[in-house]
Amino acid sequence: MKRLLDEGKLILIAIPVLIWTMLPIYHLFVLSISNQESMLAGKLWPDQPTLQNFQIVFKQQHYYLTNFWLQLFNSFLIAITTGLLTLFIATCAAFAISRLKAPGGRSIMNFALATYLIPAAFLAIPMYKAMGTFGLLNTRTALILAMVALASPYAIWVLKQASDKLPKELDEAAIMDGATSLQLFRMVYLPLMKPSMVVIGIYALLLAWNEYLYAFLLLSSEKELPLAVGLGLFLSADDAPWNLLMTAGLIYAIPPAVIYYGFRNNMVSGLTSGAVKS
Amino acid sequence: MTATTMATSSPAPSDATSGQARDRAFWGVLMLAPYILVFAVMVVYPVVYGLWIGLNFQSYKALFADPIFFRTVINTIIFLFVAVNLKFLIALFLSGFFVAQRAWVRIVLVLFILPWAVPSIPTILSFRVMLNPENGMINQQLFQLFGIMEGPGWLTDPTLAFASSIVVHIWKSLPFWTLILVTGRLAIAQDLYEAASVDGANKWQQFRFITWPSLATLYVTSTLLSMIWTLGDFNSVYLLTGGGPGDLNHVLATLGIRYMRNNNLDLGVASIIVAMPLILPMVWFMVKRLSKGAE
Amino acid sequence: MKSMRNLVSGAALAALAVGWSGAALSQETVTVWFTKGFYKGEDDALLSVVDKFQKATGVKVDLSLYATEDCVTKSVGAVQAGTPPDVGFCTTYDFRTTGQWAFEGKLEDVTDVIEPMKGEFQPQALATTFLMNGKTNKKAYYAFPVEQQMMHITYWKDMLEEFGFKESDIPKTWNGYWDFWCDKVQGAARAKGKRIYAVGHPLGVAASDTFYSFLTFANAYDAKIVDENGKIVLDEPKNRAAMIEAVKSYANIMQRGCTPPSSVNWLDPDNNVAFHNRTTIATHNATISIAGKHMDDMNNPALTQEQRDAAKKNYYDNIRTAEFPKKPDGSNMTNLAAVKTAVVFADGKNKKRGKEFMAFLMKDENLRPFVEGSAGRWVSTTLAGIEAPFWSDGKDPHRAVVYKQYKDGTVPFQFVYNYKFTAVNAENVWAKAVNRVLVDKVSPEQATDEMIARIKQIAG
Repeated sequence: MKRLLDEGKLILIAIPVLIWTMLPIYHLFVLSISNQESMLAGKLWPDQPTLQNFQIVFKQQHYYLTNFWLQLFNSFLIAITTGLLTLFIATCAAFAISRLKAPGGRSIMNFALATYLIPAAFLAIPMYKAMGTFGLLNTRTALILAMVALASPYAIWVLKQASDKLPKELDEAAIMDGATSLQLFRMVYLPLMKPSMVVIGIYALLLAWNEYLYAFLLLSSEKELPLAVGLGLFLSADDAPWNLLMTAGLIYAIPPAVIYYGFRNNMVSGLTSGAVKS
Repeated sequence: MTATTMATSSPAPSDATSGQARDRAFWGVLMLAPYILVFAVMVVYPVVYGLWIGLNFQSYKALFADPIFFRTVINTIIFLFVAVNLKFLIALFLSGFFVAQRAWVRIVLVLFILPWAVPSIPTILSFRVMLNPENGMINQQLFQLFGIMEGPGWLTDPTLAFASSIVVHIWKSLPFWTLILVTGRLAIAQDLYEAASVDGANKWQQFRFITWPSLATLYVTSTLLSMIWTLGDFNSVYLLTGGGPGDLNHVLATLGIRYMRNNNLDLGVASIIVAMPLILPMVWFMVKRLSKGAE
Repeated sequence: MKSMRNLVSGAALAALAVGWSGAALSQETVTVWFTKGFYKGEDDALLSVVDKFQKATGVKVDLSLYATEDCVTKSVGAVQAGTPPDVGFCTTYDFRTTGQWAFEGKLEDVTDVIEPMKGEFQPQALATTFLMNGKTNKKAYYAFPVEQQMMHITYWKDMLEEFGFKESDIPKTWNGYWDFWCDKVQGAARAKGKRIYAVGHPLGVAASDTFYSFLTFANAYDAKIVDENGKIVLDEPKNRAAMIEAVKSYANIMQRGCTPPSSVNWLDPDNNVAFHNRTTIATHNATISIAGKHMDDMNNPALTQEQRDAAKKNYYDNIRTAEFPKKPDGSNMTNLAAVKTAVVFADGKNKKRGKEFMAFLMKDENLRPFVEGSAGRWVSTTLAGIEAPFWSDGKDPHRAVVYKQYKDGTVPFQFVYNYKFTAVNAENVWAKAVNRVLVDKVSPEQATDEMIARIKQIAG
């Protein structure tokens, strides 16, 4: 009886939680299968659900969608490059700090983490100016560098923690055998770090894929934009193609959702392990 | 790849240990170098550059003369305190729900994470369209079901629009912090609860004397970190209302960008620098906490 | 062919000499930023000009098209960072930045290009590009008058009839006009249970439509804001009183629930959106772009025949473009015209070619297809252009009204006399004052006094 009561209470919490979570996502989905009329009438479910919006998006048949595939490609390019670069930089740095005990390594990591203590929008404005000085404005390189700078501190931190957990004896044995640092890195460190590296690569990739503000500031030409900013351009269309906007948005939201669910067990434990410790 | 050749040539058999030590120091520095470079170019340089631009006294005069500036500062403070505390109270409550040992609760958790997993722009724009006063789904439904001609001005009434931004912000970032607190709760030894319920402690007492003491540090640290991140939240305000109606609902994050748009980058930088008194105590507190945790 | 080979080998030698790859050097580029057109025809015309220019000169045009709002933001950032393009043309430069840039010496003096073709422009349009440079303390031509816009009223004739009115019922007097839409037409719509608003009335601070519409109201009440030397005269009692009336009149349409509630957040396209949705019956709009969209649709091969036919019916029968009513004092309305300016940036890397590109674009045979490609949204600034059949033959119901308004005469914005008014408009003190009345419920007198104080602070 008590168990049943508990179950009831839990369900009473679950229902509002689900409505709250799903409402905007449901709305996104409904508009993506609505025609203009049902959409403007605010129907809870369209009179005649249609896939026409998807067809228009895929065939780039609306004026604000002329670069849809290119912008989707840009999003992939930026996210994957950011993921790989972050992984490279953070793996090396974590190895240097944790295994090689590089001089000043710990303080560098603390400084790095201080990046997160600057609110994103506040770093963005001077960074925009700096990028102008470097002549990188309106290039995808600028956005990738910015995203790497934002993803790295956390990546280094997580990887360092994972690396610290590897037994010291491994290094000692390898060193006894006369292994160089690079051999240590390749033979001992990399194979053992693989699971954490996957998590961090995905973390950086998702961060870059989801980013709006920096992309919006640093890039402008339609052919360089990732889809996130391309979607923002819809607000200047004068025929309110919200259904197309939502369709393109849905397509844009699917890859990160899929990746997230594919790796969710690793992600949650990998990303939150450090948080609990401190 | 030239690095490999250098490495293999370094260890001489006679002084293996000192050679290895030198090798370690060399590689330690070299492997830190890429990050140091990125950090210097993308973080240190812009910040120093920003501070240098911020030395222009005229900008502050112009900033303080702008009638919407003070409103923005107050908005920012309200946004910060209401959004973050509300979010954490809900997260604390929901984390208790999500630790329930039920298969179906885990499915709910999987769905609950969605707002965090998907990009902000489609979902915030979805809110924006849904809350549109004329054609949005909510007010259209109010009209069709109840004949309400003028539904609430979700995005047009200044107070409601501000509240809507807070709601969107919470919607987006609640899952992440709930997850953090769930992890925190799972780290508490289960036998503590068993012992307590044998002793006849009720749910509230269990929370008060077991859960809260174990979670408090995590809760406060997370709250602070979330405050700093919330201060930088541009999307929830910009994509939903653009700081409207009438520029009344800006926060410092969007105001800076608005100045940039109005050909006034210096004012944008100045508006950031005046936020320092708001940020620095939190940062100081954070650093102290984190370094204590690291010991 | 031989010269081509010489050119190539010369470039290769040069590349070797500096130890750089030939590809980067062999092709000279000029960087050009334009606003992305609302209609495809505009961009097509521009691309064809770019193509012709590239063929004629061998210079590669690196063309970027930006959405209206992004275009000006990007340009502003680039100018501040010292990395502007060579040529910029955003349709909000004139409102936001041209005057200020000229004053700060950020623009290239283009008098040498303008001078030989001076006679081709409408004098009042050309006058808006003769600007003060604060560095040299001299006036010169710092921009090209590419095209212009005026304020019009657009309404759905079929909706008007649906609610039991004829076009001839529309009063010509100022108050009678707004009362007709807000009370009679909206009243009739509501009596039929329709959730419809009579007027689309922009109130968003981020929209140039808002200050355009507001300044048209101010114009109607003869509230003079600056004199021709750029001195602020709004604080003179007569002008202040007129401005109070303008604020009252502008706020009143919202106060009586005659415009959609979302108009307080509207961006530039949103009054068009509301009109196309038939959420509003009439709207004032600073171009004929609303009708223009239907013209674009009726020629759009991507649409079905049915949709094209509907668009055609909308364009020719259902949608009407009209002038504003008479001023409150009964005299004829003067048309506030905004001349869209293209500029060559002083810090551009290849501004010499930038000037050449603009000189090329400004030729009648290149400019006219570009302007006309906008389906009437932008109005010609040349004498030949406006007298072309496109505008003057009276066959097109919408363009005929534009032509008539042009013939009635135009007046420029304040920022032509005092560049600091670009900042006044950017901050949209006008919308702020109206919002003070609407949201904070202060009196129009107080809102106007605050407005005057802020204008003096910015532009005094």
